[in-house]
Amino acid sequence: MLTFDWQGVLSGQPLQWILSGYLTTLWVSAIGMVLAGLLTGLFLLLRLAGGRIGRGLVATWVSLFRNTPLLVQLLFWYFAAWNLLPQGLRDSINAPHSGSVLPGDVWWLSPEFLCSAWGLAAFTSAFLIEEITAGMRAVSPGQVEAALSQGFSHQALLRHILLPQGLIYAWQPVVGQLLNLMKLSSLASGIGFAELTYQVRQIESYNAHALEAFAVGTVLYLLTGMVLGLLLTRLPVARQKPARQARTSTQGEPQHER
Amino acid sequence: MNANLAVITDNLDYLLWGRLAQGEPGGVVLTLLMALGAAALAIPVGVVLACAAWRYRGGVRRLLFLWAEIIRGIPLIFVIFWLWYLLPMMTGGSLPGAVTVTLALAWFTSAAVMHSVLAGLQALPSGQYEAAQTQGFSESQALWFILLPQALRNVMPSLLGILIALLKDTSLAFIVNVPELTTVAGQVNNRVQIYPMALFIFIAVIYYLLCSSLGLLARRFQRQAV
Repeated sequence: MLTFDWQGVLSGQPLQWILSGYLTTLWVSAIGMVLAGLLTGLFLLLRLAGGRIGRGLVATWVSLFRNTPLLVQLLFWYFAAWNLLPQGLRDSINAPHSGSVLPGDVWWLSPEFLCSAWGLAAFTSAFLIEEITAGMRAVSPGQVEAALSQGFSHQALLRHILLPQGLIYAWQPVVGQLLNLMKLSSLASGIGFAELTYQVRQIESYNAHALEAFAVGTVLYLLTGMVLGLLLTRLPVARQKPARQARTSTQGEPQHER
Repeated sequence: MNANLAVITDNLDYLLWGRLAQGEPGGVVLTLLMALGAAALAIPVGVVLACAAWRYRGGVRRLLFLWAEIIRGIPLIFVIFWLWYLLPMMTGGSLPGAVTVTLALAWFTSAAVMHSVLAGLQALPSGQYEAAQTQGFSESQALWFILLPQALRNVMPSLLGILIALLKDTSLAFIVNVPELTTVAGQVNNRVQIYPMALFIFIAVIYYLLCSSLGLLARRFQRQAV
């Protein structure tokens, strides 16, 4: 009943599609992760130093992005928010330039790439903010008081005291969220972004080798997740023992989108 | 602004219930049906699997964990794709798209339910089970009458969290064109093409209200549990 013909997937045009899609997935995930980290840092600082308004803003951001589906967010960024950018900027992004191709022939200056990376980053940041805040809660209040009494600014407090320790406490859930970002980049195929999932479906309509293509895609996502997970849990931050057991459990709200 | 609102009011019935009158539910109604259907399948299956993993510590548990790990490692879209192609091959007939997606969601979610309930079972004091044994309860009786009722109450917040994720995940039906809320919004957007902002904000608000009210419920349970 089930016969596999791998030649139809692992040669010629389909193979090229898979490779290009896979590289695109890797790039958009990497850039999305960096962006998510930057957004998270920014919002953690805002929560710490921004007073009531700052905390309110962060709470709104977190609540909005956690309680709506990522796919709807991506559709919103791509179909609605993109058109709010000035026409001149959009034209210059769409115009071909020399710097718009990443190694592996991946175009990053395109509405699809930018909206996907931004959408994934915004969504993931909402989860990272909560995980790391929970980790930072395990840092003893005495340390914060000591730092403040030494004249630390909020920024220095976050950068030197809270974040390094909070990250150690919360590293495992943080890794989970980053792996999730890589997997969720598959949803960007919904806005026509030519990453791995999109290319796999293209093979399906090209030569009807759907099952073989899905198998290749499935294995690539599984392997990438495993390798990335191993790498991230081998970083120096992961190997430090927390000073005490953190209560980082965000039980009750494991709203990981898959 | 009025035109923005008009795109919603003109299509409101389609967005809310699709072609329900013709017997084809869509929009919000189909979203809810799929989420409820998947939950109704995933929770019992997940609880049974958790009991199996609790009872058989060796190979069975390792196998279940491996199964959950693989499901967790691949994007949900791929689970949907696989069922989309394999189910018709196995059953010989074709299932409605909404049913296929619901089954995929249920399969995916049951792994999360299993982990959550197993954690709840393991968190109970061991005296509970020992006391049940000395009173002559069999293993399944102890599970059914003593352990599960307590464990399920304790993991209620985490189960509600899983339900929220499930509700959001129904939006993936967009990829295979099953007419739930996200898909119909996409259809209306393709047809009208001028007011994507109003349209996508509107459906985001609907998802937000549904999910955040479940979240409020979870927080209430959490307070009771403490």
